[in-house]
Amino acid sequence: MEQHVGPRRPLLAVLGLTKHFAAVKANTEVSLEVWPGEVHALVGENGAGKSTLLKMIYGVYHPDAGQMIVEGTEAVIDSPAEARRLGIGMVFQDLRLVPALTVAENIALAIPTGVTLKLRALSQQIREASDKHGLSVDPNAKVGHLSIGERQRVEILKVLMTGAKLVILDEPTSVLAPQEVEALFSVVEHLRSQDFGILIVTHKLDEVRTIANTATVLRGGRTILENVKPSDYTNDELIEAMVGKSVSDLTRRASTVVTTDRAMALTMTGINAKGDQGNLALKGISLTIAPGELVGIAGVAGSGQRELCEVALGLRPPVTGEVTIVGKKIGNPRDALSAGAASIPEDPVADSIVGRLTVLHHMVLNGRRLPAGKVGIDWQTVKSTTDTNNDRLGLHIAATSRNVSELSGGNIQRVILTRELSLDAELVVAAYPSRGLDIANVRRTQEILLECRDKGAGVLMVSEDLDELMSIADRILVMHDGHISGEIINADFDRQRIGQLMIGGAA
Amino acid sequence: MSATLLTPESPEVAEPEEAKPDRLRPILATVWRWTSALGVALIIFSILLLTKGANPFQALGDMFKLTFTSSRSVQEIFIQMAPLVLGALAVAVPARAGLTNVGGEGQIIIGAVAACGAFLFLGDSAPGGLIIVAMFAASMIAGALWAGIAALMRLWAGVNEAISTLLLNFVALDILLFLIYQPWRESRTGQPTTRELVDTAKLPVISGTQVHIGIIIAVVVTVIVWAVMRYTRWGFKIAVAGGNAEAARRSGLNVSMLVLSALMIGGALAGLAGMIHFAGVEYKLRPGFGYQLGYTSFLACWLARHQPFPILVAAFVFASLSVAGDSLQLDSSLPAATINVLTALILMAVLGWTAKRKVSV
Repeated sequence: MEQHVGPRRPLLAVLGLTKHFAAVKANTEVSLEVWPGEVHALVGENGAGKSTLLKMIYGVYHPDAGQMIVEGTEAVIDSPAEARRLGIGMVFQDLRLVPALTVAENIALAIPTGVTLKLRALSQQIREASDKHGLSVDPNAKVGHLSIGERQRVEILKVLMTGAKLVILDEPTSVLAPQEVEALFSVVEHLRSQDFGILIVTHKLDEVRTIANTATVLRGGRTILENVKPSDYTNDELIEAMVGKSVSDLTRRASTVVTTDRAMALTMTGINAKGDQGNLALKGISLTIAPGELVGIAGVAGSGQRELCEVALGLRPPVTGEVTIVGKKIGNPRDALSAGAASIPEDPVADSIVGRLTVLHHMVLNGRRLPAGKVGIDWQTVKSTTDTNNDRLGLHIAATSRNVSELSGGNIQRVILTRELSLDAELVVAAYPSRGLDIANVRRTQEILLECRDKGAGVLMVSEDLDELMSIADRILVMHDGHISGEIINADFDRQRIGQLMIGGAA
Repeated sequence: MSATLLTPESPEVAEPEEAKPDRLRPILATVWRWTSALGVALIIFSILLLTKGANPFQALGDMFKLTFTSSRSVQEIFIQMAPLVLGALAVAVPARAGLTNVGGEGQIIIGAVAACGAFLFLGDSAPGGLIIVAMFAASMIAGALWAGIAALMRLWAGVNEAISTLLLNFVALDILLFLIYQPWRESRTGQPTTRELVDTAKLPVISGTQVHIGIIIAVVVTVIVWAVMRYTRWGFKIAVAGGNAEAARRSGLNVSMLVLSALMIGGALAGLAGMIHFAGVEYKLRPGFGYQLGYTSFLACWLARHQPFPILVAAFVFASLSVAGDSLQLDSSLPAATINVLTALILMAVLGWTAKRKVSV
């Protein structure tokens, strides 16, 4: 009762939290406060210690030292269940819903309702809560039919319905299309107006500016800026706080490769292809990419980008149509690899990572010949080549002896990028190459892609970040519902027009 | 007062060990897990013995003494261990490629049938060396082909190999029974068995013992399998295919060929186990030939977590338990099945308790 009359106090205050894993100092004396009615951005590069901090707040890890104070009372959060009991809710980056069940059934899994599910009553509660928080969630919809943005709202609703006062959003925008980001931010705004506290993890500065009242910047496991107002700082100052040095802007440059006498890096002719559900995911796609050309693919998630990449690489046999890479017809993945394709998959964890193998083992899984040693594979050579490439590309991959299952998403992405972009490829198919990377590495990756292009590779790059595409592509193709709905040459890049094409409007 | 947000009182709870850079600790933890698992299994078993009116200390003590102090039974352990090692490797190699080979039982039978067929085809007069070599080759090829059926069913029709290898065990048994009741039966009136191997076709024994050379073959094959898994391109490729088939496909590996070859090599190893049991112990095919060898090997492989050298230990444990069961039966009033209870308890304790716990979020 005292809570209503007493002075306002933070929902959560973290004081000097420290967590070291053997030699890795994941968090050292980290502090921050989240107040009711506040959106607090937790900002930092990959490996800055954001995940470790969240895991301590959510009771997955136990701090070596430091305190957590929940609404004025010191708390020992030793399990996620305890965190939830204290009113701390977490929306994970990889949404944890069961696609085959309805929204109500999924929420029933999180809320104990006794022996029977009482779905009807729950549906009513969901409707009420959804209206109250401005989430527009239909309790009877099957989760598998919802978009990622809608699923995220279901997760948020679930967290609210389990009694959370502090909602933690772990990189919520990394999986969303631009329109969905706006929808998410209006939800966040609504929650703030209802006095919830929101802790949002991001590495995008414009998001910090758009949504956050306060920000805490982590670097190397320490708080560099603590509970500051973003508006008091310039972008350069914030970037410097995150990276430790300022990052130069990418200078746009046109392709200089002469292409007239060379075979096209990629041609796709009249491609129709099915998606995983048997639906027609690509409808009459024809495109060419010249050597030394970087072609960006824009579009709302699920418009056929994944299928396009897979067909180009021979991973998904088209129903009709033909694919060639440097003039060679592609029928299966080995054709594509031996013609000189390199690829950054959309979902590296699912499609490129073998959990029990090391970083070094992964460096040879590029479709090129395994370097032969006296017996088996010459790992010494692999190691030295990897070190050379790592120095050249500068993406700073984890130690080659590390098991990949210990690596975070951004680290895995850098391993795959280093492996694939160090090949002298004829064609690079890069799906969301900068996913999970911090600012410095995003920039570096873009430069490497341009270097590949300048060495004569054709580059097909899928991204949901229009700014990224507009800053490096020579040409942008916009996909909508399995079609190419428009093509724009770099001189005419125009957000408005691309946005129109993405949602299927006439250009 | 904000009593609604009670928290546990003592912040002095033990710190989690994960932060300690101590190399000994994981080893000690493993030893502790195994010891406690085995201890619990023995305690439950002792309770069972008590309800049967036996003194558990006496029974267990006798069992241990009879099993490990008599030269005869120690030799028997090594004899029984040999096919178990090979049968377990037959599970481990496909497991590396992400496949579950439950077909050891049938592949062992088919291996022995092929070995017997080679012997019957060549006849008694052929040189002993030739017969043995032909028997080895025939058993491994037959085991590989038999397992290959399951691999092809998986590749062509998507049939899960755990089911197809299991079902093929029954087919293999029927083939064995048909052969020994009909074409290969030694005598129309006597037992349904094949003719006994000529002495030159039997596996030689290690001098000074009763132990045939099967155990040496098993150990050598274990080392070979370990080296192949660890050092060769093929070993690396099947680990990739087994770890993430999509990653293997995307990096241009021929996953179908890897599946086929891994399962066929598993079959060949099981066929070899059948050959060793046939030419080292039984000398003739009979209706109960190699009964449960395949399934016991499967369990031994799981106990060893599919790793070659631990398989030697697991096979030794299973062989010892089997020999101990015989002595238990002979020397006390307890039924022989009692030892199966102990075996099962040990398995459940070790598999259930020593599994690494996952942190759930």
